[in-house]
Amino acid sequence: MAGQVGNGNSAQAQRSVEQATLVYMLVGFAVFLLMGLLGLLMRLQHAGWIDLGPRWFYRIMTLHGAGMVAGVLLASLGGVARVIAPRIGLSPRLLWTAFVVYFLGSGLVILATLVGGFAAGWTTTYPLPVRGDWPMSATWGFLLGYTLVAVAFLLWCVAVLFGAVRAFGGLGNALAWPVLFGRKTERPLPTGPELAATVVAIDGVIAVGAGVVYLVPIFAQMLGLVDGFDVLFAKNMLFLFGHTLVNLNIYLAVALVYATLGAYTGRMFKMGFPVALAFNLVIILVLLPYFHHLYQDFVQPWPLHLIGQFGSYAVGVPAFFVTIVGSLGYLYGSQVRWSAPVIFILAGLWGWVAGGVAAVLDGTIAINNVMHNTLWVPAHFHSYYLFGAAGFTWAYLFHTLGGSEGWVTTPAARWLSWLYAIGAGGFVVAFFLSGLQSVPRRYAEHIAAWHPLAQLAVPFVLLLGIAFLGLLFLSLRAIPAAWRAPAPAAGSDD
Amino acid sequence: MLVGVGVVFFVFLLLWTAILWWVATRASVLVPYEGISAVVTRLRRWGTLLIVVVLALAFLLSLPFLPYPSSRAARLGPPQVTVEVTGRMWAWELSQKTIPRGQTVEFVVRAVDVNHGFGIYAPDGRIVTQVQAMPGYTNRLLYRFDEPGTYTIRCLEFCATGHHLMVAEFTVQ
Repeated sequence: MAGQVGNGNSAQAQRSVEQATLVYMLVGFAVFLLMGLLGLLMRLQHAGWIDLGPRWFYRIMTLHGAGMVAGVLLASLGGVARVIAPRIGLSPRLLWTAFVVYFLGSGLVILATLVGGFAAGWTTTYPLPVRGDWPMSATWGFLLGYTLVAVAFLLWCVAVLFGAVRAFGGLGNALAWPVLFGRKTERPLPTGPELAATVVAIDGVIAVGAGVVYLVPIFAQMLGLVDGFDVLFAKNMLFLFGHTLVNLNIYLAVALVYATLGAYTGRMFKMGFPVALAFNLVIILVLLPYFHHLYQDFVQPWPLHLIGQFGSYAVGVPAFFVTIVGSLGYLYGSQVRWSAPVIFILAGLWGWVAGGVAAVLDGTIAINNVMHNTLWVPAHFHSYYLFGAAGFTWAYLFHTLGGSEGWVTTPAARWLSWLYAIGAGGFVVAFFLSGLQSVPRRYAEHIAAWHPLAQLAVPFVLLLGIAFLGLLFLSLRAIPAAWRAPAPAAGSDD
Repeated sequence: MLVGVGVVFFVFLLLWTAILWWVATRASVLVPYEGISAVVTRLRRWGTLLIVVVLALAFLLSLPFLPYPSSRAARLGPPQVTVEVTGRMWAWELSQKTIPRGQTVEFVVRAVDVNHGFGIYAPDGRIVTQVQAMPGYTNRLLYRFDEPGTYTIRCLEFCATGHHLMVAEFTVQ
C-alpha cells in the first residue's frame, strides 16, 4: 500500500527537503556533542576533580539540559521530516524557516546562560526564573529563546498535521483508524513513521499550548502587568509542556528505528493492528505521566497523583508490544548486516527499556518519595535519552550518511559503536547507583562520600567521547555525497 | 525500600541484557520470518497481558504506602509533635531541632520565595522521606523516626546558586 499518495513532494522539492533535514541532523549532532562536553565537566566536578564554582556549574547545568533537549529534538525532527516528506509533502521553505527560528532561539538560550548568567535549570520552575540571582535580561533572553524554539516546533507540527490530513484524506485515515477499526478503505494508509509523526504533531500542539500558558504569565510579571501567579498551576503547565515534549522526542526517534532497521535486516515494519493501536493509545497516554513530577507537591489533589502513576505505568505498554518486541523479532534470524546503525538501535533498545523500568519504579508514588530529585532521575532520563531518543536518531543519521553498505559497516564503525554502548552503559549505571545512594541531583558540590561513583562514571564518559569523535571522523567524509545524492531508501513500508 | 528497588532494577537489567545478547547472537543466522512472526504475535499477546497484570498488581499493592498525610496517619497514628519548617534562599528554619524518637511528627512545610525540596536524610546518608516547600502553599509531611541520631535536611528542588548549601540538621533522641 505504500507509494505515491499523489500530493507528496516533487523530486526537486524532496531534494531540498533532504538537504534541509541533513542540516537539522548535523547541527543537532554537533549540539549534542558540545552539550556532552558540558556534561563531562559536570561529572568531573561531581568527582571532585575540578572546581567550576557554583555559578558556572549551574549555568553549565542549565545549558546542558536545554541544549541536549534542543539538539536531539532538532535532529529527530529533521530525520522524521526526511522520512515522511515524500508522501506527506513537507515544504522545504517551511523547514528552513523553522530551522532559522529554532537556531535563533537556541542562540538566545546560549547567550542567556553563558553571557547573561541565567541558571534556573532547563526546567525553569516558576518563580525561580524571576527570583534568581542573575539579571532579568538573562531571564528575558532565555525565555524568549524557549519561545522561539517552541514556535519552530509548532511550525513543524502544524505542517505535518496539515500534510498528513491532506495526504491520507482526513485525520482518521492519517491515524490509521481503518486498520484500528477493521474498515476497508481505498485511501492509502500511513506507514509507521508517518503515523508516529502525526501522533507527535497532535501532542506537540497540546504541549506547546501548555508552554504558552506557562510562559505568558511570566512575561506578564516581568512587564509589571501582574504580581505573580499560582506556583502549583505553573508547575502543572510547565511539566505538561516539558515532560511531554521530551517524551514525544522518543516517539520521533522510534519512527527513525522503523525507517532504519529494515535496510539492514531486510524485514520491513508493517502497518497493522498492533502498530495502529499502540500509537493511538500514545496520543492520550503520553499526556498523563507528567503528574509524577508533582507527587511531592502534597497539596495537589491526590486523584491527579494516581493518574500520574497510572500514566507512568501505562505509557510503556504500547512501546513494549510494538517497538520492542517488533524490533527484536526483526533482528532475530535476519542475517543482519552488523553496522553502526544496527548497534545503536540494539543499544537503544537496552537503554530505552532500562530507563523505562527505572521510570516505572520512580513513577510509583511510594518509591518516588525517596527517589524524587536524587540522581536516580537523571539516571532514568539519560538512559532513555542518550540510548533511546539520541541513539535511535544517530542510527538514522549514520544510515543517511553511510547507506546500508557504506562506512557504517566497516570494522572501525562497528567497534566505535560498541564502545559507545559500553561507555553510555557504564555512565548510566553509575548514575543509577548514585540514585540508590540518595545523592541529590543538581548539586554543584558533592560531599566526599558521593565522589567515588562520579569518579567511576568519568572514564565511561571519556569512552563515549572517543566513540563519538571516531564516528564523527568517519562520517565527515560522507557528508558532501549525502548533500548531493538522494537519501537511501527508508526501511519502512505499510 | 532503596535496597529493594535496587535489587529489582538490577536483576531486571541483567535479564534484559541477557535477552538482548541472546537475540544479537542469533541475528547473524537466517531464520524464516514466518516462524518468528508467530512467536512475535504470541509475545505481543501474552507478554502484554503479563505486563499489564504485573503493573496492575504493583499499582494496587503500592497504594497503602502513599506518603500523603491521611495515608501516613493511618499507618503511623495521628501526629504527636508538630514542627514548623520554612524554606528560603538558602536556609531552613525549624521551630525545633530535637525530635522525640518513636512518635509521629508532623512537619508543616512552607517556602517564602521559590520552590524548595524538604528532603530528610538519615544518619546513614540515605533519604527517608521528602516533600516540596512551595510559596503560597502549606504541605504537611508525617513521619516517625525510630532510629536516634543526627538527621540532615537537604534541599531537593533546585533553587539557584546556593541550592547545595541549603542544609540543616535535627536530632532524634
